[in-house]
Amino acid sequence: MNVESQMKKRTTQALGETHVSAANVMATPNASVRFWIITMLLVLLGLATLKLR
Amino acid sequence: MLLALAQWLAQDVRFFSVFNYITLRTVLAAMTALFISFMVGPTMIRKLAAYKIGQSVRSDGPQTHLVKAGTPTMGGALILTSIAITTLLWGDLHNHYVWVVLLTTLGFGAIGWVDDYRKVVHRNPKGLSARSKMAWQSAIALVVGIYLWDAASLPANTELIVPFLKFFVFPLSAFMFVALTYFVVVGTSNAVNLTDGLDGLAIMPTVMVSGALAIFAYVAGNAVFSKYLGIPYIPGAGELAVFCGAIAGAGLAFLWFNAYPAEVFMGDVGALALGAALGTVAVIVRQELVLFIMGGVFVVEAVSVMIQVASFKLTGKRVFRMAPLHHHYELKGWKETQVVVRFWIITMLLVLLGLATLKLR
Repeated sequence: MNVESQMKKRTTQALGETHVSAANVMATPNASVRFWIITMLLVLLGLATLKLR
Repeated sequence: MLLALAQWLAQDVRFFSVFNYITLRTVLAAMTALFISFMVGPTMIRKLAAYKIGQSVRSDGPQTHLVKAGTPTMGGALILTSIAITTLLWGDLHNHYVWVVLLTTLGFGAIGWVDDYRKVVHRNPKGLSARSKMAWQSAIALVVGIYLWDAASLPANTELIVPFLKFFVFPLSAFMFVALTYFVVVGTSNAVNLTDGLDGLAIMPTVMVSGALAIFAYVAGNAVFSKYLGIPYIPGAGELAVFCGAIAGAGLAFLWFNAYPAEVFMGDVGALALGAALGTVAVIVRQELVLFIMGGVFVVEAVSVMIQVASFKLTGKRVFRMAPLHHHYELKGWKETQVVVRFWIITMLLVLLGLATLKLR
């Protein structure tokens, strides 16, 4: 195993699930944008608590 | 439909009165559109791929785009289906603005559908001719303009509002109003279509602008808020917030599948319709000039094409390496995702600037 792939593996292990899904399942931009969408929805949900109570 | 049901149930159970609130229905519309798109999206993409409804890529475009050939397109049908179902569920169907916006959106979607269908299914590279496309777009936009002029009951319905300047309000004549409506609706529709050239580039600004227009619609339709903020009160316009919420929800769900590397493209059926929807809402809430600011990315993309064509015809030289503008930056060495995210950031700033006009005047 060369240095680069070793580093990649160690980074993936260190950073956990996010990068595992980025490395194994979907392209990085795709994973990033999907996490942004989830965050946007959670922020909207948080803001909705201002009114929905 | 659900509003009518809730109002009927509210006669016996007071809790159902909560659905009269536009804010709640806007949030529910966004969630419903999101849910429908998430549920239907994967099946639709599989069907589009199975029927080989794939995008053709311009041969003179950036070389990096050639790998995109064959990616399922016409995904805009998913967005329009979600928006239409959601608006019919959560919108007040007695409100004529809801019908104007919905029918305009579906009308422009139908033009895009025919164009896409001819290109993709009939393998006719020209699709609908530019002249036919423009003629149909013009016909719908003119009908919208004439109807809105005819239905206007207050001077505020037809005045041109200048952002940041409280006392600059221009009453428009019938001709000027219809002409302005025409240019805003057709212009926005085509500008969004031109922007739709990179994965996620058109849909995210559409989501952001529709979110901001939802706020403008809500404020314009509320007598207290509109008076406080000094913007024209348009009775009934608040209901458009529900429609804008549906666009935002359906758009975000579409982005899930359209993010780089895209699993599906929206095609003309989505781009033309979404642009027309934004334009029509802006006309009704009298925020055409604010739309010009918030949709700055769409404007710049469209203007880059005009400059490129004019320059090439007049001088034989190109101003940009390639038009629309996003291809220029790609050829300068920016990665596709960099162009997309940077254009999103610019739109975020422009939307904030647009929203600032609510208070700063």
